[in-house]
Parts: sequence; C-alpha cells; structure tokens
Amino acid sequence: MISYKNIHKAFDIPVLSGVDLTVETGEMFALFGPSGTGKSVLLKTTLSLIVPDIGDVEVDGMSVYDGPSSNLEKIRRKIGYVFQHAALFDSLNVYENVSMGLPEDEIARMRTADLSRRVWEALEIVNLEPREILSKLPSELSGGMKKRVGIARAIVGRPEILLWDEPTTGLDPINTAAVERLIQRLSKELEVTSLLVTHDVEGGLHICDRVAMLHSGTLRFCGTPQEFRDSPDTVVQAFVDRAAAIAALDMAIV
Amino acid sequence: MANPIVSPVVGWFAKVGRAYHITLEHAGALGILAWDTIVALVTLKVRFRDVLRQLHIMGVQSLPIVFVTASLAGIVTSQQGGYQLISSSPRYVLGTLVVQSVVLELAPLLTAVVLVGRIGARITAELGTMVVSEQIDAFKSLGRDPVAILAAPRIVAGVLTMPLLVGFANVIGIYAGMLMADLDGGLGKETFFYGARLFWHSWDLFYGFSKSVVFGLVIPVISVHMGLRTRGGAEGVGLQTTQAVMFMILTILIIDALFPPLMLQ
Ligand SMILES: Nc1ncnc2c1ncn2[C@@H]1O[C@H](COP(=O)(O)OP(=O)(O)O)[C@@H](O)[C@H]1O
Ligand SMILES: [Mg+2]
Repeated sequence: MISYKNIHKAFDIPVLSGVDLTVETGEMFALFGPSGTGKSVLLKTTLSLIVPDIGDVEVDGMSVYDGPSSNLEKIRRKIGYVFQHAALFDSLNVYENVSMGLPEDEIARMRTADLSRRVWEALEIVNLEPREILSKLPSELSGGMKKRVGIARAIVGRPEILLWDEPTTGLDPINTAAVERLIQRLSKELEVTSLLVTHDVEGGLHICDRVAMLHSGTLRFCGTPQEFRDSPDTVVQAFVDRAAAIAALDMAIV
Repeated sequence: MANPIVSPVVGWFAKVGRAYHITLEHAGALGILAWDTIVALVTLKVRFRDVLRQLHIMGVQSLPIVFVTASLAGIVTSQQGGYQLISSSPRYVLGTLVVQSVVLELAPLLTAVVLVGRIGARITAELGTMVVSEQIDAFKSLGRDPVAILAAPRIVAGVLTMPLLVGFANVIGIYAGMLMADLDGGLGKETFFYGARLFWHSWDLFYGFSKSVVFGLVIPVISVHMGLRTRGGAEGVGLQTTQAVMFMILTILIIDALFPPLMLQ
C-alpha cells in the first residue's frame, strides 16, 4: 500500500498543493492529468527523488520522510520504478543495465550464473530475446526496446510495487498495446501493486481497477473507471472526450 | 506608489542580495559535494576501476593538448623575454625568466584552462545529460549513490592528474623555451640553464605544484556540481555547460591571484 499524505511541492510556482492518495496492495491504479501537472513529481516523492515541501509518503506502513533513514532503503527494495524515457545508463550495456536493478549486496552474494539467469528471465518477461541484445548499448536500441529494457531493470529485483511513469508515451499503437498487456500481465502474474501515470486515458481505464485525475495541484477525481466515465465534472468530461477523440485518431492512422 | 528614485536603488540592493544568496547556495552545495565525496572514499564505496577510467580520460588523453600548449607557452615567453631584455642585462637572465614564468604561472594556469575546456565542460555536459534523462534518478531509485559512482572518481582523478600534467607541462615548456632561445638568439643550453639555476628556489616548484592540486580539485568539483544541477532538457545542458565553464575559469583566475599573497611572502 502506498499513501500520499497532504503532499505539497513548489518549484518556482506551486506544483502540488495538498495531494492525498492511497493505492491499495494488489491494486492497479492509473493517475491521469494534463502535462506539467506534477504527476512525475508525485511519483518521485515516493522514493525521495524529489522531497515534498510538506507532507509524507507511507509505503506498507513505513514513512519515507518521518521515519528512520533505513526506511528509504527498505522501500527502495520493494519498489520498481519505470522511468518515462527508460533512463538506461548510457555507458552500460543491456546486461549491465538490467543487473543494476538488483541491490549491490545481493549481487555480491550471487554467483555469476545466477545473476545472468535473473537478467535473462527479466528480459524474457518483457518479450525481448536476451541472446540478441544482452551486449548492446542503449544507443543501439529502438525506443520501444529501450522502454522494455527499462521495465526489465525495474522488475529484475522482484518488486512488490511498480511505479510506471508514462510507459506508453511516444510508442506506436502496436508497441503501446504490447506494453499495456505487459503491465496487466505483470500485475496479475507477479501480483505486484501498480501505480501507472499515463496520458493514455483509454488504456488506463481499460486495464486499471481505480483511477484518479490530477488537476491544478490537487486530485480532481478518484474512483472506478466507470465512475470516471460517468463523472458529471466538466474537467473530467473534457479529458475523457479528448482522450476518446485521440484514440479514434490513432485507430484511423493504423 | 513606487518611488522612482528609490526603486532602482532598492532593485540594485535586491540584485546584490540575490547574487550573494546564490553565491552562498553554490558554496554550500560545493561543500556538501566535497564532503560526500570524502565520505564515499572513506567508506570504500568508490570503485578503483571507475577512478582508473577517469585517470585515463583526464590524464593520458590530455597529454597531446598539454604538450602543444606548454610548448607554445615556452616559445612565446622565450621570444618575448628576449625582446624585453635590455642589452645591458646578462643574456643568461632569459633562462631565469622562462623557467620561472613557466613553473610559477604558465604551466599551472594554462594547463588548468585547457582542462576546463577538455574535462570540465565534458563532465558538466555528461552529468547534465544524465540528469535530464533521469539516469541520476534511476541510480538513486536503485539504491546506488551517484556521488560514489560518478562524482568521486572524477574528483579523485582530477586531483591526481593535474599535478602530473603540470609537471609534464613544466618540462615541455622549459625545453621549448630553451630551444627557442637557442634558435632565436643563439643562447646555448648551458647559458640558459646557468641562468635558470642562479635564481632557482625549490619553493617555486612546490608553489606551482600546490596551484595544480587546487586547480585539479576545483575543475571536477565545480563541473560535477553544475552538471548535477542541470534542469530542462537538451537546452538546459548547453546553458549549464557554458555557465560551468565561466564559473571554473573565474574561480581558477581568482585562486591564482590569491596564491602570491598567500605563498610568496
Ligand atoms: N526538478 C525540478 N526542478 C524544477 N522544476 C521541476 C522539477 N521537476 C518538475 N518541475 C516542474 O514541475 C512541474 C510538473 O512537472 P511534472 O511532474 O514532470 O509534470 P507531468 O505531470 O507532466 O509529469 C513542471 O512545471 C516542471 O517544470
Ligand atoms: Mg511526467
């Protein structure tokens, strides 16, 4: 379970002004919102990549900002983070990138064969052929492949929670569908809790148990996909309609 | 109502205040970075392999450019020195002039400036790119310490490399100056080194060496610090890199100016 409690964050201007959100264990949760509303900022507060000005985050009852500093280390091991542009390490090949997903002390205790088996498995889960890409550098991969390697790095440590920052943005419709299926499958097969930040409202409504919408620094909506579609709130409606229009456009292009 | 006479003055003070604030903020962050580096080193979190790689990039790969810069510095000092010396002064003074200029000032300063361009700019751009592409966040999310992995090896390598490069520049600069004195004015090698030895203090070498250690610390610390503060995409990386270069050059010139009152009294 992840609980965001009264999160405030301002850079030059306020970005988040009092966000409260709880994602239950085992749930698939989608967070929508226009670009620049602070969805990524909110995700980053979970691992103290960005520190909120006010507020706290609790992961499985452990406080990130109000507890002992060892909490953060424990929480990091529970969470796999999928970054928007994959954020692969440029100077490391695919094998090294994915193995970075395991904690240092665990790697030290592992035999090389076990390590490569773990990396191999993670790549197979994201439908990549390990033999072909293990020794490639990120610069030699396509956008869709980079995203998958990023996902492999996030899941290799067998996290209980996955945070997805726009995993389908910038992908073509075919890759989008593939990544969506992957998210669904991982959540079911590995029984992980997923918090998914996405632009793709149709996809999010389709695969998630609950959804929320961030607007002007606070949560404008939180509920089931059906409630979201039926919401009388004009801001929510505008978002649903526009998303539907874009989805239709995508279909037309395909 | 804003008073038209007072407000520019207030505005000026506000600017000074802001600049002061920004300076303090940079100084604080630089201090923290240096401290974190020391902690990473003491706790043995820095991998030797990473340091070795940086030593190669900063040291070995800088040799050609340092060779060219130091040769030119020696040649120019020798020619201009010969031109400046009045006919009544003994000719061996040229040896003194070249060696002291090179050892005290030219080798450390020019090598530092060259490294700002070759190493400092590269570090800022490299780390800046890693920030905007979220690689730094990725390191942290995976429980890795960016200071131990990225900052410390560069800082350690800078401190170790710079004195060696300056030593190399000393030798090259002096020899180039001597050859030039021979070609230009027929001043023999013996005469040149006689002049050099006559006014030689071992302290001078230590002085130049101290400068080089400080410069070797300043360049990677500032460039890492600036790189890690990059914001806003590819444009941000470019902007941050130019600012880092300005920041490094100014700092080096100021520190260079502080050395004579501190160490030549
Ligand atoms: N590290 C940072 N420093 C300064 N401003 C930031 C930083 N991270 C995000 N912002 C700003 O916060 C706002 C929200 O950003 P973000 O969370 O990335 O939006 P999105 O909802 O599209 O993910 C943007 O205006 C962005 O410029
Ligand atoms: Mg974002």
